[in-house]
This record gives sequence, structure tokens and C-alpha cells, in this order.
Amino acid sequence: MRRMASESRRSQMLRGVLDLCLLAVVIDEPAYGYEMTRRLRERGLSTVGEGSIYPLLGRLEREGLVATHRAASDGGPPRKYYRASKSGRDALAEGVRAWRDVRGEVDSVLATIEAEVA
Amino acid sequence: MTAYVEECRQEWKRLGVPDLLAEEMATELESDLAEAEADGVSATEILGESDPRRFAATWATERGLVAEQPPQRKRRRLWIWVTVGFAILLFVLLPVLSFVGGGHSVARQGTISHVVPRARSPHVVVPGLVGERKRAALASARSAGLAPEVRIASGGPGAAGTVIEQQPAPGTTLRRGSTVRLFVARG
Repeated sequence: MRRMASESRRSQMLRGVLDLCLLAVVIDEPAYGYEMTRRLRERGLSTVGEGSIYPLLGRLEREGLVATHRAASDGGPPRKYYRASKSGRDALAEGVRAWRDVRGEVDSVLATIEAEVA
Repeated sequence: MTAYVEECRQEWKRLGVPDLLAEEMATELESDLAEAEADGVSATEILGESDPRRFAATWATERGLVAEQPPQRKRRRLWIWVTVGFAILLFVLLPVLSFVGGGHSVARQGTISHVVPRARSPHVVVPGLVGERKRAALASARSAGLAPEVRIASGGPGAAGTVIEQQPAPGTTLRRGSTVRLFVARG
């Protein structure tokens, strides 16, 4: 029960920033869907919570924050590649700023709380 | 997992997602799931949703490929209400309009009465004529804009020379000049 509740909080918190994480992994080099999952994992985000990246990718595509193209993958079938567009980069920069502000503010409120509260 | 993707396909079809785009998403998902499996990553991790239809609908909606869900039914219902409302309005307004249109009587100081003609409505309301004497009923019908037709009724209950029945009933809206039948007791 307790575990479920904490997972749901994690999902909720991730929901607000997962789009930034996705943009961040395709800002330098395009990637297809699963490749993005892999990059997130390599950078330490092993699970994206209860949701999936696909609806989010769909939204980023619709909003023009990512550009897409089809290309052959290494030895595999042709894949749909995503990369951050110009407006995607701008959105990422702004989002990261907002994230750092919020993180700092929340941290300073929670700083005095002992992590091992009974 | 093939079954899952297949169900997604069906859902996209149901939602009216263009075939080309549905196929693009299905292929993307299939390739990614296959690669994840090879990596030892569970499909749940990739999909995050056990219900394929909900997954498919969310994805397509976020991509902007689905019109907002309920409008079709709602819009149809709205039209029903608009039609019903209009019909009620018509039903209420028609008798009023034709009444006003027939002439507007202004009484001043109880002595002079002007009749101000109004634009003639193409419809009139049948007045109640039962119980009136034949001559008075004919006059009322004509002044209401109707063409009276007299039928002599024998063995009726009413006094001789009076209208014992009329067709159509009082309050019916008819085209101006329509026939109203008066059944007059034989006298």
C-alpha cells in the first residue's frame, strides 16, 4: 500500500518533467523511441513511472518541439527518429530553468526534514 | 505482444486515425517492443498500461489524431433540443401571431374603437363555434379568415339552428382560407 502510494507520487512528479528529459536525450543526436528509453536508463532514469513515452512523444511531435524522420537503424528495420527542434530547444531551456527554481524552493522547505522520519 | 499491437490497430481504426499513421505507430511499437525484449526489458516498462485500447487512444489523442471523444453524440443531442425548442416556440408563437395579425382593437374612453390592421398572417386559429346560431357562426368563421361549410345534422342533441359540432376543433391552426365544417342541428 505504502509502496504503491510512493510509486504514484514518483509518477506524478515525473509527469511534469518527463517531456524535458525526452527533449534532453535528443538534443544532440536523434533517436528512435526505444533508443530514447535506453538513453534515459543510461543517464540514471531507469523507469518512467506508470506511463509510457509514446503519448508524450506524440504530443511533442504535435507541438513541433521534436522533428521526426524515418531512417534505417543499425542492421534493423527503418525506424522513426526524433530530435529536438529549434522550439524544442527553447522549451527545454525554459523548462530546465523552471525545474531548477522549483527544485531549489522545494529543497529549501524540505531541507530541515530528517529523511528517516519514523 | 503481437496481440497488444493488434488491439491498438483496431482501436486506432475505430477512432478514425488515418491508416498510414496508425501503421506508422504500430510498426514503431512493434520494433521497439522487439528490441526491448532482446534487452530483457519488460513490455510493461515500455507500455506502462495494460489496456491496449486505452494506450492506443491516449497516444493517438496526444498526437492530435483523434477528434475530442464525445462530441458526436453530444452534438446530435444538442440538435434534438434545438429542434424541439424551435417546434415549441413555433407552437406558442403561431396562435399569438395569427391572433395579433387578425386585427388589433384599441378601445378609447369606452366609446371609440379603432381596428388597426396588421400584416395578415398566412395562418389562422379556428375559433370555437359550437353552440352559436348558424348565422353568427358563419360570420365568426369568415371574420377569422376561414371558409365555413354548413352540414345539416339530424337527430343531434342541440337546439335547432345552432352549431352542434365543428371540424376541425377550436384552437387548430389552419392556412387562411381553409374550410371549417359546421354541423348545424336541423331546425
